[in-house]
Amino acid sequence: MKRRAFLGGAAALGAGAAIDRVIGPGGGAPAAQAAGAPAVSTAPIAFEGVHQAGILTPAPPHAIFAAFDAIAPSRAELATALEALSERARRLTRGYDALLGAPGEGPTPDSGILGPRVTPDGLTVTVAFGASLFDSRYGLAARKPRALKPMTTFADDALVAEECHGDVLLQLCANSEMTLLNALRDLMRATRGSLAPRWKVEGFLPVSKERGAPRNLLGFKDGTANPAATDGRLMDRVVWARDGEPAWAAGGTYQVVRIIRNRVEFWDRVARQEQELMIGRDKGTGAPLGRTKEGDDPGYPSDPKGDRIPMDAHIRLARPRTPETEGSRILRRGYSYSRGLDMSGQLDMGLVFCCFQADVEKQFEVVQKRLAGEPLIDYVVPTGGGYFFAPPGARDSQDWVGSGLFV
Amino acid sequence: MLRPFAVVAALALVALAGCGGGKDGHASNPPAQPYSKRSTAPGAVARVTPADYRRPLATYKRYVGRQLGTLLGEVAVLRAAIARHDLAGARAAWLKADARYESIGAAYGAFGDLDAAVNGRPDGLPGGVRSPEFTGLHRIELALWRHRSTRDAAAPARHLARAVARLRAKVGAMTIDPLEYSLRAHEILEDAIHLQLSGQASPWSGSALVALRAEVRGTEVVLGTLRPLIVRRDVGGALPQAHRALSRLSAALARMERADGSLPRWDRLAQRNRELVDGLAAGAAEQLAYVPELIDPRPPRPAQRPFGDSG
Repeated sequence: MKRRAFLGGAAALGAGAAIDRVIGPGGGAPAAQAAGAPAVSTAPIAFEGVHQAGILTPAPPHAIFAAFDAIAPSRAELATALEALSERARRLTRGYDALLGAPGEGPTPDSGILGPRVTPDGLTVTVAFGASLFDSRYGLAARKPRALKPMTTFADDALVAEECHGDVLLQLCANSEMTLLNALRDLMRATRGSLAPRWKVEGFLPVSKERGAPRNLLGFKDGTANPAATDGRLMDRVVWARDGEPAWAAGGTYQVVRIIRNRVEFWDRVARQEQELMIGRDKGTGAPLGRTKEGDDPGYPSDPKGDRIPMDAHIRLARPRTPETEGSRILRRGYSYSRGLDMSGQLDMGLVFCCFQADVEKQFEVVQKRLAGEPLIDYVVPTGGGYFFAPPGARDSQDWVGSGLFV
Repeated sequence: MLRPFAVVAALALVALAGCGGGKDGHASNPPAQPYSKRSTAPGAVARVTPADYRRPLATYKRYVGRQLGTLLGEVAVLRAAIARHDLAGARAAWLKADARYESIGAAYGAFGDLDAAVNGRPDGLPGGVRSPEFTGLHRIELALWRHRSTRDAAAPARHLARAVARLRAKVGAMTIDPLEYSLRAHEILEDAIHLQLSGQASPWSGSALVALRAEVRGTEVVLGTLRPLIVRRDVGGALPQAHRALSRLSAALARMERADGSLPRWDRLAQRNRELVDGLAAGAAEQLAYVPELIDPRPPRPAQRPFGDSG
C-alpha cells in the first residue's frame, strides 16, 4: 500500500517518479525463445476466426484454466462483460504498448508485469460457457447448446464442489507464465463486478527436446493417439458441433476440463513393468507394448486376448481402434499441474485433462465409461472441472465471442 | 497503515509555502507538458489543498464522536452480558460493537495505539493468540466463540471499555491526515476484501458480512463528506460509479439479511453467494480506486522525465 506514499526527501523523488511513470516507448525486441520447445510461436495467433483459437492451435508450454460465475445484474451487463473479454483478448493476443499509468489517470491501466512493450508470446484466449449460464437468470435458456449439461459425476470421481462447474470458462495458453498472468489480471479486471472467480488451475507442458507427445507427471507419453488437428475434415467430424445446434452455436465445440490428481508418490512405488501394463506403452520410447516406435499401431487384432497389451490397459480401453469405437474419438489438449501439498504431505499434482468434441455424451463420456474401473484408477483421482461449450470465434474486429447469444 | 503521514504533512506545508506548482530546475528532459498542468481535473478547477479538507474532516470527526459514544454504550451492554454469563447475549452485543468500530475506518490512523487496543489482531504478535498484547474486540471474539467462555472475556472486555472511553475523550483533539482520509475512501473496502472476506479478521465469529456491511456504510459516510471536493473534478463520473457499485453490494447484503437484521456466517455461505459478495466488493473497489487521485491534497510533484504518449 505504498503506491501513493510520498517518499521522504528530494533525492527520493526521482526514484519514485521512475517507478510510477512511464519510461517511454521502446523496450526492444522480445527475448529469443528457447530452441526446440514445442509449439513456441512468437507470431500473434489471431483471436478472430471461424473457430476460436486455443483449440486446434498447437499447445504452448503454459496454460491457465479459470472458471467464473456471472454476477452481472442484467442480461445487458452480462453481454457487456462478455464483449469486454473479447475486446481485451484481441489486444492481449496481438501485443501492445502497455499503459503503465501517468499522473491524473487514476489506477494504473495495465499491470505492467511485462514491461512497456507486450508481445503476443503465443497467447490464446478461449471463452466457453457452462450449462448454468443458460438457467433462468439471463433468459438464455432457449439458446442453450444442444448437448450442454453439467459435468457428470463418475463412479471413480472425488469431486471438490469448489473447483467444479462455472458459468464461464477462460482457457489462456501462452509461452510464458508472466504472459498468462498479465492476461488473466487484465481480463478479470475488465469484468470485475460481472464475472466472479470460481476456481482456477495453472498448467504446464514439458519443454523438452524429446520428440512426439509430451510426458505427463506419471512419466508416460500422453496424447500420442490424438487425432491430427491439421486434418480439417477429421476435425469437422471430431471437434466442431453442427448437427442440431442452435444457429449461433454452429462451429463451436464442447470442452471438457477435468482436474485429475495423480498419486505420484504411490505411482513411484510401482515397478516399471506394472506401470507399463496399466498404461499399455513402453515408458522409455512411448511405443505400444511389443512395438518399437511411439507412433506405431498397437495392433490389437494380433493380440485378441491381451497377452501383449492387457485388455484393461489405459490406451486400449480409451481407444480400442475398432470401427464401432472410432466415432468416440476426442481431441485432447491437456496440461500438467502442480500446486502444493495435501494434509498428508503428499504432492498435489496431476493432469488438467482437457478435450474438445462435437458431442460430450457420444465422445468423452463413452470413453470415460470404457475406462471405468481400469487398474490405473488407483493412481489417479478426478477432483474438479466441468463441461463447457466454446462458441464459434469472433467473425471480425467488431464481433465478440458469444455475441450470438444476445441477438 | 504504513504511510508516513507526518512526512507527508510536513512536505505538504513546506511545498505549499514555497512552491509555485511543479517548476523544476533540474529537468534535463523537459516534460512534454508541465506536470502541474497534468491535473486530474482538466479545465480551471484548482487542485485540492489540505485546507479544503477542513470541513469534510470536521464533519467526519463529529460522526466518529457520535459512533464512539454509541460504541461506549454497546460495550457496556457487552460487559453486562459477560458479567451475567449470558453467552448468546454477549455474542449479539459483540457483533454490534465490532460493526460499530468497523464503521469508522477512516479514523484508525488517527487513533494511534488505541486502535490496536480496540481492534488488534493476533497476527504479527509473538505467541499469536496467547500473546498478552492480544486484547480488544478480537480477543473477546476468541473467548466468546472459540472458548465459549464469558469468564475468559471479562478482562479483555474491561480493557476494551477503557480504550473506547479514552478514544471518545480524545476524538475532539485528534488529527486526521487529509491524504490518509482521501485514501481511506478507497481503502476501507480494500481492507474489507483483504481482511474480512479472506476470513482472517473475524475467524471465530465468522462475522465478515456484518463487518463488511458496516464498512460499506462507513465508506459512504467518507464519500459524503468529500462529495463537494470530488464532484467539481470528477469529469469521468467516478463518484456515481462508485456509489452504484456500493449500492449493488449493499443490496446483495440486504438480501442475505434475516428478519432480525442478522447476517449468516461468512464461512457457511453457499459458494454462489460468496462469489457474489466477493465479486461485488471487488467491483466496488475497482470504482473507488479512482476517487483519491481526484482529491489528492499533495502539491504536484516535479516531473523527472518525459511521459510517453502511449505508455
